[in-house]
Amino acid sequence: MSGVTPELQHRVEQWYYREARLLDGRQYETWLALCDPTIRYIVPARGNPLVDNKQQGTEAMISVERELEGVDSDRLPIRDETLPHLMMRMQRAYKPNSWSENPPARTRRIVGNVEIVEATEAQLSVLSNFHLHYARPGSATFFYAGQRRDVLHTRDDHGDYRILRREVVLDMSEIEFPTVGIFF
Amino acid sequence: MALRARDIVNHDATLIGRKAWTDPHIYELEKRGIFAKSWLFLAHESQLPNPGDFVQAYMCETPVIVVRGADREIHANINSCTHRGLPVCRADHGNATKFVCPYHNWTYSVEGELLAIPQEKHLQSKADKGPLGLKPVPRVESWNGMYFGSFDPEIEPLDAYLGDQRWYLDAFFQRFPSGVEFVGSPQRWIINANWKLPVENQIGDVNHGPFLHSAVIPPEANREVFELGRSAVTIPGHGATFRLMPEGTPVEHVAWGFEGMSALLAPEIHDYLREIHAHAEERVGPIRARMKGLTYGVFPNLSFLWSNTAFKVSHPRGPGRVEYWCWSVVPADAPDEFKKILRGNHTTLFGPGGIIEQEDSEAWSQQYVGSRIDFADDRPYYYGLGLGEEKFHPDLPGLVSVTANEFYARHFFLRWRDALEKVED
Ligand code: FES
Ligand SMILES: [Fe+2]
Repeated sequence: MSGVTPELQHRVEQWYYREARLLDGRQYETWLALCDPTIRYIVPARGNPLVDNKQQGTEAMISVERELEGVDSDRLPIRDETLPHLMMRMQRAYKPNSWSENPPARTRRIVGNVEIVEATEAQLSVLSNFHLHYARPGSATFFYAGQRRDVLHTRDDHGDYRILRREVVLDMSEIEFPTVGIFF
Repeated sequence: MALRARDIVNHDATLIGRKAWTDPHIYELEKRGIFAKSWLFLAHESQLPNPGDFVQAYMCETPVIVVRGADREIHANINSCTHRGLPVCRADHGNATKFVCPYHNWTYSVEGELLAIPQEKHLQSKADKGPLGLKPVPRVESWNGMYFGSFDPEIEPLDAYLGDQRWYLDAFFQRFPSGVEFVGSPQRWIINANWKLPVENQIGDVNHGPFLHSAVIPPEANREVFELGRSAVTIPGHGATFRLMPEGTPVEHVAWGFEGMSALLAPEIHDYLREIHAHAEERVGPIRARMKGLTYGVFPNLSFLWSNTAFKVSHPRGPGRVEYWCWSVVPADAPDEFKKILRGNHTTLFGPGGIIEQEDSEAWSQQYVGSRIDFADDRPYYYGLGLGEEKFHPDLPGLVSVTANEFYARHFFLRWRDALEKVED
């Protein structure tokens, strides 16, 4: 995308690395400060609709979009959340009786393919991919892969980015995770 | 010697052996004694408005295509080609004019008849296609738009099977002037647990809420369950739990609580909900208008989480694995924008992304781990809480008690034991 300078690309990437470090370091409260008060946090479901024969021979026939059951569809997304929901998740994480994550899960994520697809004075639209390792002591280890489709405020009062919207496209066939309720 | 059901469940089902959840032989008996002989939930009519509309379902481990035929009737056929057994439909849902098997393109009508064998063009003899259609589920019946199938041609009618459980289900279904609608595809969540534990959780075990979920459920909500919560068993194996709000309770307190979190955060829909509940008495009568639902179960594996408006089916995948399907349910006549808010009442707290159910899924997995350990078979699980405290009630069908009484689970396991004994060698 034109208008994306190497400096901007660098700044955005560094911001994502810091975000990943906060999440893997379980600093959810600090992370939550990176979310805009009007944040929309979405995880679409991933369906297997019947192929449309009329789209044969085109990219549209097998597009990822037609598999997504997101917030604008009349189907059933996995998560459709706002700041109060995320706060509730954060508060839960800091209680000893959040049993499934006591002891807490160990996560490590690699964020890459950071692509700024739209940049205006006020907002950035950024795509990024992630691989996320999630190990739950006494239980098992899981691997999540997906894409994040973010809209970021270009800066808050401290010159930082804020997440306005995050849509997490997970690449699973069945949901074989103990939870899809984590912060991606 | 193979384990017998009566070695696992004692005479009054106050003790249940750990092998109930783990033994492969018992699992085979469950298939023959329960899943082959019960009514199993398939789909809701709102998922299949037009001819050719289909959704996938399972009856235990058997894949089934549920379709609205050209005759506008609902048909259910096993999704397995009569030639070599491949599934003839690989999509979750859609609208089809026929099903074509990928391997050799045998072609079936949506109702399941075999229409064409392409190889026959090159052969002199023709097969009799009559008996070669997809295997139909022998019995399909519906109640309130809910379609069920059974592999048992002799099974009692669905109405009788549900019995007075219908009275409790109608407290929800009839509350909405135009009934309800299932939203989208079910969430399909695979959990390393035995199928019966999610089931037991929903038939009546709301009492784990204040304990397992204490990080999330506020104390006032728990108090309401302790003080006003009731558990009812009409036919053993079914169950219903709800809060019976006192007479004169403002409609707001019946219409939503903490559990309706997405609705709570969306003041624009409050008038709509208030209106429904203000007229509930005309539709469901005075007692049921005061019911504020919690969880229900229909034998063997259908659950209804009224508090978060979701239906669920616990599909077994062997003793230690379950595919837990959950559908969000909304009032059919709600404006589209309201439906989008109301579906969040389910997804925020329950299902694979739910803040609450992430605790349950881990509890269910750990129960399977605990049931599989060695050297503890002489410590069956204690199911005796509240034994005999359930009573008939003047206004509510079935046996009724406080939610801490585990009679719903004892009844389930007595039915389970009897069903297994019928098919033991
Ligand atoms: S297996 Fe279906 S056509 Fe051969
Ligand atoms: Fe629970």
